[in-house]
Amino acid sequence: METEPGAFLTALRLGDSFLPVGGYTASYGLEQYINEDRIEDGDDLRALLAAYLRRVVGPCETVALANAHAAARAGDLDRLLAVDERLHAVTMPREFRESSTKAGAKLCEVLLAGELEGGEPDDEADADREGFATAVADAVDRDETPGHYPVVFGVVAADRGLPRLEACLTHAYSFVTGLLGAAQRLGRFGHTEIQTVLADLEPVIEAVCERHVDDDVAAMTSFAPLAEIMGMRHERAGRRLFMS
Amino acid sequence: MGYRDVAKVGIGGPVGSGKTALVRRLVPALVEDGNEVGVIANDIMTQEDADVFRESFADLVPADLVEGVETGACPHTGIREDPSMNLAAIDEFTERHPDLDVVIVESGGDNLAATFNPELADYFLFVISVAEGEDIPRKRGPGVTQADLLVINKTDLAPHVDADLDVIERDTTEVRGDDPFVFTNCKDGSGVGEVISHVDREVLFA
Repeated sequence: METEPGAFLTALRLGDSFLPVGGYTASYGLEQYINEDRIEDGDDLRALLAAYLRRVVGPCETVALANAHAAARAGDLDRLLAVDERLHAVTMPREFRESSTKAGAKLCEVLLAGELEGGEPDDEADADREGFATAVADAVDRDETPGHYPVVFGVVAADRGLPRLEACLTHAYSFVTGLLGAAQRLGRFGHTEIQTVLADLEPVIEAVCERHVDDDVAAMTSFAPLAEIMGMRHERAGRRLFMS
Repeated sequence: MGYRDVAKVGIGGPVGSGKTALVRRLVPALVEDGNEVGVIANDIMTQEDADVFRESFADLVPADLVEGVETGACPHTGIREDPSMNLAAIDEFTERHPDLDVVIVESGGDNLAATFNPELADYFLFVISVAEGEDIPRKRGPGVTQADLLVINKTDLAPHVDADLDVIERDTTEVRGDDPFVFTNCKDGSGVGEVISHVDREVLFA
């Protein structure tokens, strides 16, 4: 099945560093790996990001995104809030939670609440869709739910007709490019080397998204103890250019 | 209450031009005038820096109205293309202090092209130092030409770095037209009163 043009453009928009949700301020512990000289070359970076994909992005964030997408399609707000709550519970380092919820709140403002102002719904289905998006944006705005980035991402994708797997692939891809950009700003990596690492990680992105896109919300988990320790040490790091 | 409900003053400029020194002069004056003030510093490098910043305003500004925001080594992005993390910090200020009058947002040190997003700063000061070279104004960087107020700091250093204040004044008038600029020495406070008058008039009583 081909992706609709509007949904395809949504994927580009969500995957673009141009999206103003503060993604460039998050390193999810990468800054601390570099502070401690644990990442020195492209091979180290490739191995670390593959581990993030297999242990965090896939089994945790992709599961959250896919289930948020399904909840949005079903118009089931309680189910969506349960997904958000679970993601909050399994994300251990404080700074990881903060980077994710701050970006989620901004995504809500820019793509859920912001673009709903003005224009009458076309039909009943359109009104239901807008009603759900508004309910999510309101719940996040009133701090009734943490509003994690992958959860809001899933709602936006469902709202714009971007299929679940494509949404998960877009999210995982933008996570990787975000961290590769952070690595370039923190360390010394050439632009062609970074593109080679990205190309090497594409099959990993594909594999983890396909593996976890249909997982039940109860399967959501992350296992990356060293990354979590790096995330926690970063709170009082000797150098902090990133929020996480 | 949110970031749209409070006056926001942006302070940008190159590394070492005196942005922090100006903030240290500006905040006490605004507090003395009866304003509740919040301060955001971008790109402080360590938590220790944040603590020092809080200590310097300890008697003037509540600790929860002083915040450091890291911009991922992209200071210009943080104030221009994507100010979302600064706006999130201002939102937290206004939630805790609904009567907040003004927030000072100090950018990380940047180049002459840095300008503030108008949704982040209602009023934008750009600080340069005479020690960076007397030719800075005539390079016509967007920061120099578009700022609401250009602050030319460290006038005391001019004789030591062969910078001619008359040349700087002439070039600045040429590139800024009728837009205002002020010569300051933030170390001894000269010229700072004039900066405060501009901020008062253009932001707080606008």
